[in-house]
Amino acid sequence: MKRSKWIWLVWAVVLLSYLVPYTLLSGVALWYGSFLFWMLAGLAIIALNVFITKDFEEHSND
Amino acid sequence: MTESLIWWSIAIYLLIAIGIAIMSRQGPSESMSGYFLGNRQMNGFVSALSYSATTYSAFMMVGLAGLTYAGGVGALGFEIIYFAGVSLVAVFGPKFWAVGKKFGYVTPSEMLGHRYNSKHVAMAVSIASCIFLIPYSAVQLAGVGYLLQGITDGAITFTTGVVLATVIAIFFSYIAGIRSVMWTDSLQAIMMIVASTLVAFLVIQGLGGFGALFDTLATEHPQSLTVPGPGLFSFVTFLGLTIPWFFFSISNPQVSQRLFMPSSLRSMRHMLIGFLVFGFIYTMVSVLWGFSALAAFPSLASADLATPTLLASEFVPPVLGVIVMIGIMAAAVSTIDSIMLTLASMVSRDVYANVKPNVSEKRQLLVGKFVVPVIALMALAFAELQLDLIAVLSVAASSGLVAMVPALIGAFYWKRGTGVGALVSVVGTSAFVLLMYATGNSLLGLPAGVWGIVVASVLFVGVSLATKPHQATTDAFFAAISEELSKKRSTTTDQATKEAAA
Repeated sequence: MKRSKWIWLVWAVVLLSYLVPYTLLSGVALWYGSFLFWMLAGLAIIALNVFITKDFEEHSND
Repeated sequence: MTESLIWWSIAIYLLIAIGIAIMSRQGPSESMSGYFLGNRQMNGFVSALSYSATTYSAFMMVGLAGLTYAGGVGALGFEIIYFAGVSLVAVFGPKFWAVGKKFGYVTPSEMLGHRYNSKHVAMAVSIASCIFLIPYSAVQLAGVGYLLQGITDGAITFTTGVVLATVIAIFFSYIAGIRSVMWTDSLQAIMMIVASTLVAFLVIQGLGGFGALFDTLATEHPQSLTVPGPGLFSFVTFLGLTIPWFFFSISNPQVSQRLFMPSSLRSMRHMLIGFLVFGFIYTMVSVLWGFSALAAFPSLASADLATPTLLASEFVPPVLGVIVMIGIMAAAVSTIDSIMLTLASMVSRDVYANVKPNVSEKRQLLVGKFVVPVIALMALAFAELQLDLIAVLSVAASSGLVAMVPALIGAFYWKRGTGVGALVSVVGTSAFVLLMYATGNSLLGLPAGVWGIVVASVLFVGVSLATKPHQATTDAFFAAISEELSKKRSTTTDQATKEAAA
């Protein structure tokens, strides 16, 4: 699979960031509820971007 | 916090910042791309810090903490969705960069105008950006005024704060254009991330640690840990806030222009990843400030007091409080000076040079430099007047700038998109969003933040299908992208050839 296709995983994380806290976690009033979920979503976004843009390193500037 | 401590700290900050700005100079820049884009030679590290400083305005520390205080964890969700939207840079960044290099674009509006072969598109995008971003800058300035006045108990007046921030912003942009702006931005970003993390750490320690903080929240304010929670973040409000912000990295010219600046795609990658790491820390810190204020001072009169109260509390040593206060002022300056430069480049390149054809590059630069303080003074005047209209325009900024998004996406992915389609989409959506805000911001129960992208897309696609695209410029644009992005480093190509041979 082409590296750039992984961007769809980013959009999936975005979708889950709307859905999960407003449904599954809406009753979990603890730190490991929506707070942890969104925090992990943020970390996942960083990891995915590191992976997706790896090819940028190989691009020639000339 | 004594008045003299504050003035001394401001003086020391200015001394360091001016020193850095002067050191950032690299000979006289006589071209538009030299002054406004740093000759497309910016390195990844400075770009990352400056991108962060430009994006995160003064209201991150005050506004996001306040939003968390009032609405709970939904504020974190809002920021995370914005944050995820910056991934659009991974998709659009290389394309922006490639055509910028190939055709010498200075502004995103110039790019759209060329792509759709329509001067009117370039002009409309530039003017709409001014309409939304000048009031946005004004509100930033007013924020600095209120903050300094509030923290110093009036020793520094509102007007002094506003004028001070304006003068500094003009000064930073004049020393070396975008170069001095980016280097002073970097100073601000580093200072802020260190100081604010330290504050969060000290306050959370003071409240008994992370576990104790969340225990207090869970027992005394359980709703703050869920959405919709205390009620601020109903799903519709959340959608209305997050959709425009999701597109921020391509819809706001002061950040999308940055995609023309990196010296290589490698630098662009460093800019993106650096920003994401910075933004993540900054987001978590701001949210934790809000939660800490809620646990420690649950009955503040207004959520906007969360940050000032926290900074003035016994948890934070006065010197650190002053550093953060100056950091917040610098954050406003770093957002405003970038916006000023971007708008000035758009006005001179896309409005002036299109109205008056055949103007030299030198003349455009002169006009651009003249426009910088004009924009700053307009923002200053708006901030002083404190008109309701300005506040409305500022709030409408993120929703309004979504007007450019379909035309931008279409530029890179839809050959059938036309100049008329782009023009109608930008003008029509801007007008629509303004009308929505003027009439209570609700249509069929949904806010402008949700409608904006729908209206802009329908107008762009609908009008494009009814009109004819300009084939020659479309083909040249797409050809430039594939040509530029297919260049691989020779070493990797060699390696691949060798591997294939083996």
